[in-house]
Amino acid sequence: MDRQKMFIVHLWNNFVRALRSLWRGLREGSGDADYERYLASRSVRESSSMVLTRAEFYVEQANRRYSRPNRCC
Amino acid sequence: MKRALRVAAWIAVAIIGAGSLAKIAVHRGEPINAMWFVAAALGCYALAFRFYSAFVAAKLLTIDDTRATPAERIDDGRDFVPTNKWVLFGHHFAAIAGPGPLVGPTLAAQFGYLPGTMWLIAGAIFAGCVQDFVILFFSIRRNGKSLGEMAREEVSRRGGFIAQIAVLAIMVILLGVVALVVVNALKSSPWATFTLAMTIPIAMLIGLYLRFLRPGRVIEASVIGVALVLFVVVAGQWVANSPSWAHVFTLSAVALAFALIAYGFAASALPVWLLLAPRDYLSAFIKAGAIFSLAAGILVVRPNILMPPFTKFVDGNGPVFAGKIFPFCFITIACGAISGFHSLISSGTTPKMILRESHSRLIGYGAMLMESFVGVMAMVAACAMTPGVYFAINSPSSIVGATADAAGKTISEWGYTLTGTTMTDLAKLVGEPSLLNRPGGAPSLAVGMAQIFSSTIGGPHLLSIWYHFAIMFEALFILTVLDAGTRVGRFMIQELGARVWKPFGRTSWLPGMLLSSALIVGLWGYFLYQGVIDPLGGINSLWPLFGIANQLLACVALVLATTIMIKMGRLRWLWVTVLPMIWLVTATMTASYQKIFSANTRIGFLSLAQSLAAQLAAGEIPAAKIADTQRVIFNQRLDAVVTAALALMILVLIVEAAVQWYLLLAKRRPATIHETPYVATAWAGNFTGIAHGDD
Repeated sequence: MDRQKMFIVHLWNNFVRALRSLWRGLREGSGDADYERYLASRSVRESSSMVLTRAEFYVEQANRRYSRPNRCC
Repeated sequence: MKRALRVAAWIAVAIIGAGSLAKIAVHRGEPINAMWFVAAALGCYALAFRFYSAFVAAKLLTIDDTRATPAERIDDGRDFVPTNKWVLFGHHFAAIAGPGPLVGPTLAAQFGYLPGTMWLIAGAIFAGCVQDFVILFFSIRRNGKSLGEMAREEVSRRGGFIAQIAVLAIMVILLGVVALVVVNALKSSPWATFTLAMTIPIAMLIGLYLRFLRPGRVIEASVIGVALVLFVVVAGQWVANSPSWAHVFTLSAVALAFALIAYGFAASALPVWLLLAPRDYLSAFIKAGAIFSLAAGILVVRPNILMPPFTKFVDGNGPVFAGKIFPFCFITIACGAISGFHSLISSGTTPKMILRESHSRLIGYGAMLMESFVGVMAMVAACAMTPGVYFAINSPSSIVGATADAAGKTISEWGYTLTGTTMTDLAKLVGEPSLLNRPGGAPSLAVGMAQIFSSTIGGPHLLSIWYHFAIMFEALFILTVLDAGTRVGRFMIQELGARVWKPFGRTSWLPGMLLSSALIVGLWGYFLYQGVIDPLGGINSLWPLFGIANQLLACVALVLATTIMIKMGRLRWLWVTVLPMIWLVTATMTASYQKIFSANTRIGFLSLAQSLAAQLAAGEIPAAKIADTQRVIFNQRLDAVVTAALALMILVLIVEAAVQWYLLLAKRRPATIHETPYVATAWAGNFTGIAHGDD
C-alpha cells in the first residue's frame, strides 16, 4: 500500500517537474523571461551602473533586436 | 550488447530511409502515399544528423567544449545570453524558417514531385545544413561576428564589401517578391484582406499592452493576440458576406501593392515596440501552431500524392515559371535546401547565445534539417491536390486564360483533367470569388493545407475557415519578413550612406530615418509594382531573381568557410564545403546566363524586351497599351542588368578567393586566422541550463 502511494507521489512529482520545465522553456523561448535573465547576467551583477527597469529593458531590447537581420526568407 | 543494438537500430533507420527514397524515386503509375515522403525525409535526416554532422563537427571543425563561448565570456544580458540548447534551437529555427520553404517547393511542384523532393533532402543534408553549421561555428569562434565582418577579415576587404552589397540586394528582391506573393493571395478577396488588415490594429494593441500595461509579459499578451487573430479569421466571413463591407475590402492588385508599401514604410518609421515587435510575437505563435498542425494533419490524413513524379514541364515550358529542371529547380527551391540568408542568422543572434560549442551541431545543422522538412511538407501539400487544380491556381491568365472554362480547357489539353466547374465549385467552397491565376504559391498551399485539415476536422463546410486560416498564417508570416526586413534594410542603407556623409548614419536623426525608409521601401516597392503589372505574372521573373541573389549569398558563405578551413589546414576535408560551392556556382551562373540571354521570351529578359520592342515598332500594340508595354520593356532590361550584376559579383568573389587560396596553399602568404584567443570554460561539464530560476 505504502509503496503504491510512494509510486504515485513519485509519478506526480515527475509530472509537475516536466510541466515546470516546459513552462520555463516557453518563457525563455518567447522572451517572457528576458528581463530576469538580464538581471541575472554578469554585466548587471558586476557593474555599478544604472540597472534598467522592466519597461526600459523591454523597449531597448526590441530596438536592438529589430535593427539587424533577424528573420529569414 | 548495447552497442550491437544501437548498430542494428541505425541499420534499420538506413533501410527505411533509403528504401522509402528508392520507392518514391522509381515509383510510377498509381498515386503514391505521402507517408513514403515523410519516411524518406526523416530517415535520411536521422542518418545525416547522426553521422555526417558528427563527422563535420569532429574532423572539420574540431569542436572543443572546454572553450568558453562568447555567451559565457561576455554575458551582458542583452545580446550575449547563455541559452538552453533546445530554447536556442527554437529561436534559431523560428528565425531561419520564413515563407521561402513554403513557396519554393510549391512552385517547383510544376516539374512533378520528384526533382523538388530530391533536391530538398539532398541539398539540405550536403549543402544547406553544412553552410549553416560551419558559419555558426566560425562566428562563435569570433565573438559572434557577422558574415560581412568575417568575409572582410578572412577573405579580403572586397569580399566583405561584396557580402554587404549582396545582403542589401537579396533583401530588396526578397521583400519585393514576398510582397507579390501576398498581393496575389489577397487580390479581390475581401475575407483574406480584412483578416490581414485587422492584424495591424491587433498588433498595435498588443504593443501598447506590452509597453505600458504589463511590460515584457510576452506570453499573456500573445495569448490575447492569437485569440483576437483567430476571431478575425472567422469574422472575415461576415465581412465577405456583407455587400457594403465586402466592397471596402475588395482591392485590386495595384491598390494592395500600394497598401503594402505604405505599411512597410510605417513599420520602418514607427517605434519598434508599437508594431514590429508585437506582430512578431503573434506570428511566432501562429507559425509554430500552423507548422505543427500541418505535420499532424499529414500524419493523420496520410494523403495520396496525385502529382506524377515528373510532369511534361521538365521540358522548360512550365506555366508557373519557365525553364528546365537544371538550373531552375535549384534556384527556385533555395530555402529548404540551401539558403544564403541563413548565414546571416548563423552569424547574427545565435552565436552570441550559444552555451557550448557542441550545441552548434544541433542548432546549426539540426534546425536546417527541420526547415527542409517544412519544405517537404509544403511539397506534399501541393502534390496532394489534383494536378489540374494546382496548375489553374498557379498559372498566370496570359497562359491558361482568365475564365474557369478557358483554364479548364487549356489545362485539360496539357493532359491534366480539369473542368471549369471544378474551379468554380472549389472557389465557392473556400469562400473566394475565384481561385484562378493566383501565382506565388500561397493560395495553392492554403488549398492543400485546407484540404488536409478539413479531412481531419470539420469536413467540407469548414474548408473555407481552414483556407483563410492558412492564408492568414502565410500572409502574417510574410508581413513579418516584410516589416523586419524593411527596417533592417533601412539600417543598411544608413550604414552605407554614412560612408558618403556621416550624419546620415545616425539612426535617430529624423530626416535621415525618413529618407532611408523611403529609399528602401521605394526599392522593393519598385520590384513589387513591376511584378504586379508583369504580363507573365511577376513570379516568373522575380522568383528566379530572388533565388539567384540568395544563392549568391550562399556562395559568399561557402567561400568564406573554405578560406577559413584552408587557413586552419583542414585540406583533407575541404570537399565538404567546396563541392556544394561548385554545384551552387554552376547552377546560379547557368540560371543567370539563361535569364539574361535565352532566346525563349518566357525565360530570357532581353529576348522578351526585344520581342515587345519589335511589336511596338511594328505597331501591333494597341494605343492604350503602349505606355504599359514600354514600362514592361524597361523592367525586363532592368532585371537583366540586376541579374548580370549579381552574377558578376559571384565571379569577382570566386576569382578573389581563388587568388587567396593559391597564395595560402603556396605558402606565399601567412595563414593568419582571426579567432578570439582560447579561454577555458568556468562551467561544470554537465551544465545545460541558465543559472537562475526557482529550482
